[in-house]
Amino acid sequence: MELISPILSSQNPDGGWPYIRGSSWTEPTVYALLAQLAVQPDGASFERGLNWLRRQQRPDGGWAPQPAVAQSTWVTSLVALLPADKIGAVGHDAAVAWLLRQTGEESGWVYRLRQRLLGYSVGEELSHSGWPWFPGTAAWVTPTSLAVLALEKAVRRNRQPLLTERIAQGKEFLLARQCADGGWNHGSSRALGYDGNSYPETTGVALLALHGSRSPKLGKALAAAERHWRDCRSAEAAGWLFLGLQAHARQPQTVVAPSPYRGVRDSSLWILVQAAAQGRNFFLGDPA
Amino acid sequence: MSRTLDRRSLVTGSVAALAAAGCSVRRSAAPPPAVSILRAPEYGPGLYAEVRRVLEMHRLNVRGKRVVLKPNLVEFEPQSAINTHPMFVHATLEAFRAMGAAEVRIAEGPGHRRNTLDLADAAGYFQAIPNFEDIFTDLNLDEVSLTRLRGGYSRLDSLYLPNTALRCDLLVSLPKLKTHHWTGATLSMKNLFGLVPGGVYGWPKNVLHWAGIHECIADLHVAFPRQFALVDGIVGMEGNGPIQGTPRRAGVLVAGRDVVAVDATCCRIMGIDPLKIGYLRLVAGEDTLAESHIQQIGEPVAGVTHSFELLPQFRAFRLRS
Repeated sequence: MELISPILSSQNPDGGWPYIRGSSWTEPTVYALLAQLAVQPDGASFERGLNWLRRQQRPDGGWAPQPAVAQSTWVTSLVALLPADKIGAVGHDAAVAWLLRQTGEESGWVYRLRQRLLGYSVGEELSHSGWPWFPGTAAWVTPTSLAVLALEKAVRRNRQPLLTERIAQGKEFLLARQCADGGWNHGSSRALGYDGNSYPETTGVALLALHGSRSPKLGKALAAAERHWRDCRSAEAAGWLFLGLQAHARQPQTVVAPSPYRGVRDSSLWILVQAAAQGRNFFLGDPA
Repeated sequence: MSRTLDRRSLVTGSVAALAAAGCSVRRSAAPPPAVSILRAPEYGPGLYAEVRRVLEMHRLNVRGKRVVLKPNLVEFEPQSAINTHPMFVHATLEAFRAMGAAEVRIAEGPGHRRNTLDLADAAGYFQAIPNFEDIFTDLNLDEVSLTRLRGGYSRLDSLYLPNTALRCDLLVSLPKLKTHHWTGATLSMKNLFGLVPGGVYGWPKNVLHWAGIHECIADLHVAFPRQFALVDGIVGMEGNGPIQGTPRRAGVLVAGRDVVAVDATCCRIMGIDPLKIGYLRLVAGEDTLAESHIQQIGEPVAGVTHSFELLPQFRAFRLRS
């Protein structure tokens, strides 16, 4: 796969990867490692990348987006998508434990009580716990989808009830945030009485997280995803749409990105798309 | 999602009030801020000269300086009035280069869409601006520094902010003239939300909403003291802005070193009372926002006022003539 060469050549001397250029960040580093798993890993590069990640784990078990940031965030879900035997079982368990401690502020009882006291309705969209991008804020579609995918991998190693409960809650959260057009945007499906429009990338990642779900809402969601697929102008968005549609047995005919790859994340994602097209989906399992 | 009134809020609120009062006193002693309004009928070849003219009115000295242009880039739709128009951004880039700036970069960190370069491409920036990728910084993924917020308006003590914006000599806010469904109006000050890195805080940058939208706008305003505002008011947006509203032709460029005065003037052009906009009230007193306090250059406000449609909850914001 020719996509892997630019990824390998953009690895930083410290072992991590930048988004395009510059310092190492957690997100592109995880994607570069997943992409290497999907093709033949370059032993030295892969090990240096893993070592960079291992060094970045914070005492609370989570990961920060990049070393200059002193706060564990949503990127912990991405690290937990890596096989536990690669990142280390102890570190992986700590990442999962960190994820289980996170929830959107809006689903907490303090916020819900306050809303009720102020006379605001606490609708369905606030009754399920999702995951925030950054601790102490509300839950959104992308971090919730990635956390669900990470916990579904974790539950295969450890069937603790809290894991399955949070996965179910996360999926309910996603279904509750579906836009009127059937897809998903960042997570604000309706504001001030106006319906929000869905985006291709969030529609794709939400559908991927909802694989195996049986909801009457999914038919409309898949139709929206197919609409987005036809008009999509972003390699990243198309990658997620492909994975989301494929997870529901609606794999698109073509496996071609509609725009240039904009750095390590896009190139890696498309390696993972091509692997999924060949029956090895690294978001839904750890294929050998 | 407004915050509870705790002790810190009271303290910071008092500090903010004192700061605002101090600011007003200082401002009243200083010459009134100059805001220029220039008629610009369309996004056509003439726009390049119009942008140069409006900047010349302010005698900016940017020779040898690093300038960062911060447009408002939100959605993939080039035909809508959501994004700052790419030709307007290019005209500004060319004007600052012609004025002798050592470096002019374009930088933005969209609030909802993560694939910034795809968004910029779809919005027409790659086509309108030669070598766009070489001079663009995605502020969502820029190197960051933890920055103490000295404004004290929000409950945030600090924010990670992008080094490209922190280290430039002049930050030029290039917003679109739009109504906003949470704040009433989004202009050069609200445009600074795009400086907050999504790579750290996510998409949307929800930490700002929990800490108070108006208060965070005020904090960001204080955090970036070297600013200039140049507003794309050729076609703005009314109604349910900043994304789902309706395009509204206003045919103006509005510019100034004092971004508060620029935003107050833009509000008047949209038929909105600036005294009703929360973040303007936080950073400026009534006297500072008064039309009589602002030295208008070029077209008078009254000559270019358009009554932008407002959502029902903002109808009380309508400027009384």
